[in-house]
Amino acid sequence: MARRVAVVAGGHSKFGKRFDATVRELSAEAFKPIVDEGITQDKIDASILSYAASQFSGQGAGSALIADYIGLQNRPHMRVESACTTGTASLRAAWGMVAAGLYDVMLVLGVEQMNRVSSAMATEYMSQAGDMRWEYPFGISFPAFYALMASRYMSEYGMTHDTLAKIAVKSHHYGAQNPKAHLPKEITFEEANNAVAICSPLNLYDCSLITDGAAAVVIASEDRVKEFTDRPMWIKGIGAGASEMMIQDRASLTSIPGAKYAANAAYKMAGVEPKDIKMAQVHDCFTIAELIAYEDLGFAEPGKGPELVENKENYHDGRIPVNCDGGLKSKGHPLGATGVSMTYEVMKQMRGEAENSSRQIDDVDLGLVHNVGQSGQFVNVFIFERGW
Amino acid sequence: MSEHKELYLGYSTDKAVTPFFQDFLEALEQEKLMKSKCTSCGAEYLPPRQHCQKCLSECTLTEMTEKEAKLYSYVVVEFAPMSLSSKQPYVVAIGEFPSGLRLTAHITNLMAMPEVGMPLRLGFEAKEKMVTYKWLV
Repeated sequence: MARRVAVVAGGHSKFGKRFDATVRELSAEAFKPIVDEGITQDKIDASILSYAASQFSGQGAGSALIADYIGLQNRPHMRVESACTTGTASLRAAWGMVAAGLYDVMLVLGVEQMNRVSSAMATEYMSQAGDMRWEYPFGISFPAFYALMASRYMSEYGMTHDTLAKIAVKSHHYGAQNPKAHLPKEITFEEANNAVAICSPLNLYDCSLITDGAAAVVIASEDRVKEFTDRPMWIKGIGAGASEMMIQDRASLTSIPGAKYAANAAYKMAGVEPKDIKMAQVHDCFTIAELIAYEDLGFAEPGKGPELVENKENYHDGRIPVNCDGGLKSKGHPLGATGVSMTYEVMKQMRGEAENSSRQIDDVDLGLVHNVGQSGQFVNVFIFERGW
Repeated sequence: MSEHKELYLGYSTDKAVTPFFQDFLEALEQEKLMKSKCTSCGAEYLPPRQHCQKCLSECTLTEMTEKEAKLYSYVVVEFAPMSLSSKQPYVVAIGEFPSGLRLTAHITNLMAMPEVGMPLRLGFEAKEKMVTYKWLV
């Protein structure tokens, strides 16, 4: 029988264009609040220190550099990579090691530095995560994959860009209240609807940001949790899934098959249903991705996501609050850090520690993280339970 | 190694060419689009795979006879990856043949915004070392 595992602490760097820092300094910034809380390096048995793409920072074997820089000498570390799900893949791997009894206490730290290259070069690197033989030669950028989903969704369900604009407005509304956010500013519906085209039908405000940042959490086995906190966040359900490599090979473009698969597995392991979830952090790398997530996670029926948006059920005081930290859209999307940042935000909300009552979700006893890599080739879903 | 003509698919200069892919490129230069068929279970693939996804047996290349398709989905790429920035804007489309096989390529002769469901026809282009299939409206 696997041991129960809880998230006991977390830290988060400022997200943004961080020309004042590289992966090492960003990692230290995310780890420092954990050390300040008393979970010092000597209490960490092992770590997973991950980033998605070494091309951005140019640093190879980065976990070695980070482990050394943040003072984890002699203790085992490694990197786990799975595109934008790198953060939750690291957490999933660490959970397994702790649940199995290999280690009691582990640090999971995700980091990415993306702004040392131009936006066009960053777009180039990310397009190389498509099929290099059959997709890359046609210049299918990352937004382009999601635009292919958006065009199809619009055609099948008659959705207009208004729905996507409303999602962007919500993200920025909450990002504006998050001091760690990359782009903490409100935007209007008109701005969101009329921004410069990036990959039509997606415009600038449909796209997440190219961000530098880091986030960290510490997990511990059930018999050690009390040493660190009286407010543990239990990992109650984990599901993972995958979708076809080439987007053209998918039976549907209005859903991410691997996300449904992952969500079902997570709900089953946790023994809960979508209606039990009090908040969700979903992978809104693009507004259309957030919309599809509502449906893949069972918060709305297929094709009914736009109604959830229209009724503002996704706001902090709505039926299913989503991304009340600004999401990837406004808080930012440093690839390897994103899944860890989502986990950190659920813990913060559960503890009632949002900076501002107008983004604090009431009484979170169950929170969900939905983290998608590439255009669905990797998916992790976590369900967390309040332990106090 | 035998002498092969250096060819690239589409708008990249990826040198990861295998003998199987080289045969595909040389056929494409002759304006033949090849799919692949599993020699063991008969499964068909477009774009072609050298190994069957189901039984991992070898596949052989066989010419696509379908030339007409319908637009399954599209995107207008206004902000391109660096390697294609000189071509932006361009339209990437997934076309679906009546058999259900699909192909991802640029639509190169649009005069208005594309619409899902519109008819497409298969076209070809070759220029120096570049060869490609494309969609025409």
